[in-house]
Amino acid sequence: MWAELVQHVVNGLIVGGGYALMGIGLTLIFGIMRVVNFAHGEFFMLGAFFLFTLFSLWGLNFFLASLASVLGVAFVGAIVERLVLRRLRFAPIEIPMLATVALSVILQNAAILIWDPSPKTIKHVFSPLPLTLGPIHVVSIRVFAGLVAVALIVGSHLLIQRTRIGRAMRATFQDTDMARLAGVDVDRVYMFTFAFGAALAGASGALLGAVFWVYPAMGDLAALKSFAVVIMGGLGNFLGAIVGGLLLGVSESLGAGYISSGYKDAIGFILIILLLLWRPQGLFGKKVLPR
Amino acid sequence: MKVWTIAAAVALLALPLLGVDDYYLHLLIMAGLFYLLAAGMSLLLATGQLNLGHTAFFGIGAYTSGLLGLHFGISPLWTMPAAAVFTAFVGYLLGRLTLKLRGAYFVLVTVGFAEVIRLIATNWMDLTQGPMGLPGVPPFNLGAERWTLVSKRDFYYLMAALVAGTLFLTARLLGSGVGRALAAIQSNESLAESSGISAYSHTMLALVVSCALAGVAGGFYAHYITFLSPELFGFHNTVTMAVMVVAGGQGTVLGPAVGSLVFTFVPEFLRMAAFYRMLLYGVILLLVVMFMPRGLVHYLQALVRRHGPAPAVGAASDLSLGTGVADARGATALSLRRVTVRFGGLAAVDDLSLGLGRGEILALIGPNGAGKSTAFNVVTGFQPADAGHVEFDGADITGLPPYRIAERGLVRMFQRTSVFPEASALDNVLTACHRLARTRLWELVLMTRAQREEEVRHRRRAQALLGFVGLGARAAEAAKNLSCGEQRLLGLAIALAPDPSVLLLDEPAAGLNAVETAELMRLIEAIRGHGLSVLLVEHDMKLVMGLCDRIVVLNYGVKIAEGTPAEIQRHPEVIRAYLGSGEILADA
Repeated sequence: MWAELVQHVVNGLIVGGGYALMGIGLTLIFGIMRVVNFAHGEFFMLGAFFLFTLFSLWGLNFFLASLASVLGVAFVGAIVERLVLRRLRFAPIEIPMLATVALSVILQNAAILIWDPSPKTIKHVFSPLPLTLGPIHVVSIRVFAGLVAVALIVGSHLLIQRTRIGRAMRATFQDTDMARLAGVDVDRVYMFTFAFGAALAGASGALLGAVFWVYPAMGDLAALKSFAVVIMGGLGNFLGAIVGGLLLGVSESLGAGYISSGYKDAIGFILIILLLLWRPQGLFGKKVLPR
Repeated sequence: MKVWTIAAAVALLALPLLGVDDYYLHLLIMAGLFYLLAAGMSLLLATGQLNLGHTAFFGIGAYTSGLLGLHFGISPLWTMPAAAVFTAFVGYLLGRLTLKLRGAYFVLVTVGFAEVIRLIATNWMDLTQGPMGLPGVPPFNLGAERWTLVSKRDFYYLMAALVAGTLFLTARLLGSGVGRALAAIQSNESLAESSGISAYSHTMLALVVSCALAGVAGGFYAHYITFLSPELFGFHNTVTMAVMVVAGGQGTVLGPAVGSLVFTFVPEFLRMAAFYRMLLYGVILLLVVMFMPRGLVHYLQALVRRHGPAPAVGAASDLSLGTGVADARGATALSLRRVTVRFGGLAAVDDLSLGLGRGEILALIGPNGAGKSTAFNVVTGFQPADAGHVEFDGADITGLPPYRIAERGLVRMFQRTSVFPEASALDNVLTACHRLARTRLWELVLMTRAQREEEVRHRRRAQALLGFVGLGARAAEAAKNLSCGEQRLLGLAIALAPDPSVLLLDEPAAGLNAVETAELMRLIEAIRGHGLSVLLVEHDMKLVMGLCDRIVVLNYGVKIAEGTPAEIQRHPEVIRAYLGSGEILADA
């Protein structure tokens, strides 16, 4: 009874780590660039397919291939920012949003053409035997995925708080014009932010792709879930994305275990609607007063 | 433009009679269907809210109408209106929950809503048969057997009627006070609210109408295709609608129509590209969004537009200012009683009491950060008070939303964002006449005589107000093209448009030169001449000392002095608060 509950929670936390990575990427991009990235799920998908190609098809070392996949997604993100989003920076909010929708259509269909639509597995290097701690069993690849997620979350935090580019990002987040006046290269910050956010989604995709399946439409659900995560945690809120991600992972796992697996994927949004009932003023901070 | 529109309509109506292939008729029917959806989405987007879950309402409408027909054998004549009412109701419920959200939050929540509905449709096997779908929805019979629609041509004309109705409805809504209110909410929500426009109820109206349209479209689809599946709720449907809205031209009546026509046919032509079809479709979407963000209609209009003279608005004589003052009771127009506002531990306004006499000009002055703007925000409902009361015309207005306060005749002018930048000066003032509108929604849609007369009356009044502030010649200019001083004057005209009895001015002279300030003083004096009471926050001491009957001085949220200009100039604490510089004396 308890063992089962703990098992669900542990499984939920591991998947939740992946959601949190997605959420952090999305929330950083929104917080700094004011763009809701509807192509986020496709970066997730690309992370998984890059790993599949480099590791399963080309036989590169698993860890090297993972690293290269994440960098590859970052590169795609940087190109997208440079060629598309930079031109739309001063457009009303729905324009860059729809541009990312179009990008998601493009990337997903390109993936179908390149890798065909059938689901694939990544035969990773980990033992198929579960690690056992008391009554809890976790397959080793999942342990690996969980640890990497934690490492990436901590790493992102350090990058934002401790590095030069991180400081530029925080300055841009607070006030773009002031940051520019203070000598921050805002173009570079935007490009880095988008590439970094995409890379986090790609890392999440590579990790969860190694655990589950890899297919061109895998990003659709992942993107929806990262939306749920950032609404729960507050758009632009780093800590909120982590809490939201873990919360979503655990509640899905519990919901699938105890309620119904068919509605598992709806749980995030049902949570949001309940949250709205509880806090009808919305989930974000104080409203800005007119002057 | 009009001639072209009529020609296009006639050509479209004649198409089936010219023996056009059924395949193309089907595409046109689908274009019409998507027009109903895109028109609704566009209506809501006019307020700045993008509903990326719109297909949920299409699906709900389709299932409602289809299931009623399938299980109870009810004619579509009844199930389609039922579907419209039900989807409108669901939209209302969703709006109750989510319309407080803005921008990206609203977008993401609507995406999630559609996903939840899709999952319900997929998993509620008893009702929907899940992913297998529901075949055998009865076709369209209008009550009797011989009135059953069978051919594509029948459906085509039914859809043509629905499209015409929707065009008419959206044209009436967007072309009237409602459309101005929606645009005002998108452009400057605070100013809209302080002009007496309820952002919530107008956004709700747009949402409910858009959902009802989606319900009708869904009902039509159910009985036209006669097969229902959870695919209806797919995100790609919403994407299609959004692209039609943006590519066609947001905020225009014809935009969604042009957009849905083009983007129904484009994917069909792309069939030639076989495997590359969806990829190309994505590329076209991206190019449209990037390079034609204002929409096709905008470019078409630029092609055919001819600059004619601006429509005459008639004699600009009737100012009708201060009409509510005569009915008002009591000698005090506005009073604050022991109002306190805290931000964290800091009291921005501390136990402030003051009274504004009828017909009085009262200034609230003090160093930066003294709590003047906060006091204004409390009075006009933008900031809740932690303690104390605000009374207006003898009634307690503490905690009322801004638009309710404006409706009662207490209107403010903002310091910085005092205009709707995209609209013309005349439309700016016309928008703010909202409070005076007496016609109801149905009168507006049906263009009754009373409604048309009211519109003409308001136009005259708006023109008169522009003349009053000295902008009569600038009526057609977009507000953003006016100079800083002109924008301030326009802001004043906007604040006067709701015919207030009390006017609050937040630093009206900021950024004005000496000549403009003198003109402003003359205007404020003239406004008082109409019986209005004026409370103003101002740093320009020449204006304050030369114009005001009394002055209240704030420092760190506390009232430190109150009296006539002469008394204030000699008040030791006031002089100390202004760094003992004596600048008040020097300036005056």
